[in-house]
Amino acid sequence: MSSAPSATALSDATLRAGIDRSLRHPVMFFLTSGAAWLAVSILLAIVASIKVHYPGFMDECPYASYGRVFPAHINTLIYGWGFQAAFGVVIWLMARMSRQQCRAAGTILTAGHVWNFGVLLGVLGILGGAGTGMPWMEFPRFVWPALVLSYFAIVVWSFIQFRVRDSDKSYIAQWYLLAAMIWFPWFFITANGLLHWSTGHPVMAAGINAWFRSAVVFLFFIPVALGAAYYLAPKLTGRPIPSLTLARLGFWSLAVVAPWAGMQKLAGAPLPVFLPYLGAAATALLAVPLATAAINILRTIFSTEEKLPKSPALHFTLAGLIGLLLLAVAAIALNLPGSSLQLTQFSIAGYGFDILAIYGCFSFIMFGAVYFIVPRITCREWLSSRLINMHFFFSAYGIVAIAFGALFGGFIQGSAQEAWLQPWETVTEVVRPYAAVSTFAWCVILFSNIFFFFHLALMWLRLGRRGATPTMLDSAAADLTATGPQAGH
Amino acid sequence: MSEPYQPNDPAHSAAATDASLDQAAAAREKSIPENGNQPISLWTTVICGAVLIVAGLILGYGGNRFSYNSLFRDGYVRTAPPGSVATPLPPKPALDAYMARGKKVFEAKCIVCHGPDAKGNGVTFPSLVGSAWANGETERFAMIVLNGLQGPASNGKTYGVMTPQGIGMTAEELAGIMTYVRNHFGNTKGDVITTEMAKAAINISAARKNSGQAVTAAELTADHVNALPGKPVAATTLVDPLTLEPVPSAAAPPVTAPPAAGAPAAATPAAKVP
Repeated sequence: MSSAPSATALSDATLRAGIDRSLRHPVMFFLTSGAAWLAVSILLAIVASIKVHYPGFMDECPYASYGRVFPAHINTLIYGWGFQAAFGVVIWLMARMSRQQCRAAGTILTAGHVWNFGVLLGVLGILGGAGTGMPWMEFPRFVWPALVLSYFAIVVWSFIQFRVRDSDKSYIAQWYLLAAMIWFPWFFITANGLLHWSTGHPVMAAGINAWFRSAVVFLFFIPVALGAAYYLAPKLTGRPIPSLTLARLGFWSLAVVAPWAGMQKLAGAPLPVFLPYLGAAATALLAVPLATAAINILRTIFSTEEKLPKSPALHFTLAGLIGLLLLAVAAIALNLPGSSLQLTQFSIAGYGFDILAIYGCFSFIMFGAVYFIVPRITCREWLSSRLINMHFFFSAYGIVAIAFGALFGGFIQGSAQEAWLQPWETVTEVVRPYAAVSTFAWCVILFSNIFFFFHLALMWLRLGRRGATPTMLDSAAADLTATGPQAGH
Repeated sequence: MSEPYQPNDPAHSAAATDASLDQAAAAREKSIPENGNQPISLWTTVICGAVLIVAGLILGYGGNRFSYNSLFRDGYVRTAPPGSVATPLPPKPALDAYMARGKKVFEAKCIVCHGPDAKGNGVTFPSLVGSAWANGETERFAMIVLNGLQGPASNGKTYGVMTPQGIGMTAEELAGIMTYVRNHFGNTKGDVITTEMAKAAINISAARKNSGQAVTAAELTADHVNALPGKPVAATTLVDPLTLEPVPSAAAPPVTAPPAAGAPAAATPAAKVP
């Protein structure tokens, strides 16, 4: 290496390290508190899942009734983990890609505490019986203005950084992240405003709620995941995204199609008939943006025969992209009118689809980003490749069991519901094994995320390994035993 | 340049200062290369095209997307699915059940000439409201419905020729239409023409001397000023709305609440009551 590029590289590295340092506290706050909420959410998922196949479980405790525990589980998963992980990743990625230091770390940190406090109050409200009963919007209605305000205080700096960046080009990753940051307040304020503050027709309210749930996934979580993956794949491999045209197609088709999706959940309800069918068609059409983006990023990673580094970030991102492809297939398979749409409408398949999107795709890519970001902002390396491996494999096996169990079990459940000459009890009997599998899988995922949270907390306390070599999943084991033998025990 | 700090390189480790360690992760990063400009491959296009076709079919399956009629069917009567033991519908009072049937027949057959208010037009079509024949002897009324009418009507005035309506009409339909006309549009006879009576009327009609021709006032007065034979049924007797047969009160299933207004009749048939 000659001296001139080395000096440029060094000053460039100094700039990047400066950006990382400026964001250390807010990003670590979002990631660690997100990981803690994830553990809480999974614990609630286990309780809710047990109650499906063993209804007597904790039945003397009103706070643990299914109607409270299940909403608490899904809301902590979305607002506790999902959004906070997204915030941590988005503000870091936007600062890095705009090459601007964060000058509002204190504000972001404060807003992050407000968001956390809002989620905490909301969850306590749900468990205390004050939930609103609208899926994914169960928080008592005083919570959502606090969430909106803190949201703006968190992301507005990323817009400013993008505006003042010293280059006129933009990365594909930035398209997705900016779009997600703009779409979220649009659908969140629309849905909450219409459902909490205006009194429309109650059937249409159910339709708006279904649209909101679809929007949370396809207008926020999926674009954030795609933005992170479009950043991580070329960054980790040093290979270019093969097709800008395909990326444009994927982005604009998502922007055009995703807002129409959602109301297929109301098929057969007394809404204007075109709404559910439009929702079903749009959701099936979402296979195009999902699959094209996944193909484009996977081709980046596998563009040469050269052996890839066994980086934890790459591992998780790859798994998330495979989850994305499965999600694209499921989006079509669950929305065929006359067969799967009606058959799975009132079954666990919808839950399987949501969990596949939120955990199998979004969370895996977020984990990948976390494994990439945290060593940079803490200036410490991950302690143990074994902990990361545990996190990866238990998470992967768990999500495969839940997603396939719920999707397949949904078809079985739907068929049982159609056999209406049978007593309704047989439907619950038929679903029981799938619920049991789901409980077991959530336990496995909880196990994996306890390792993740523990590992992340150690990094947050700056107890990570001091060194210049990254922690990889294959060769680093020998190196680790020398530097951090106590890790994980 | 991706890994300036080589693993297990003692020289580097020794030389590394705290400051350079703080930048180690940032320094070993690869830079993001310029995006490639490959065209969209053929098989990607094929996949996207297939998805488009599927989405189009889904939208097409919606049928009348801007019509409520496919969801809300007026007078929807559930039919038992094949191979099932028919579950009886909740019984209704006889007058209501016969009139519901009659309303459909009226709207299919009578409404064209006699009008939605059954008042006719006073010139070519007579009014049924307060008509002496419609509200009079049941056999005479049945003969007119089944065979049509030529010549003067009950008020002595001659309108056009009424075509016979009895072709293909079942006893239930005849009973329904007669009960309906006699108890609607301002007519208040309050009696129920039963299926049994309607069967008798169909037999009498078939045995007429000048069968096949419309009846005349003379023939009606000569032969048909009778009450149709058959056991009368009280207006409040509970009957099965489908068969119009009286339901024995002991065996009558409990009357379940009708589905909430606006419930999707087509998608969730009321038949799901176990």
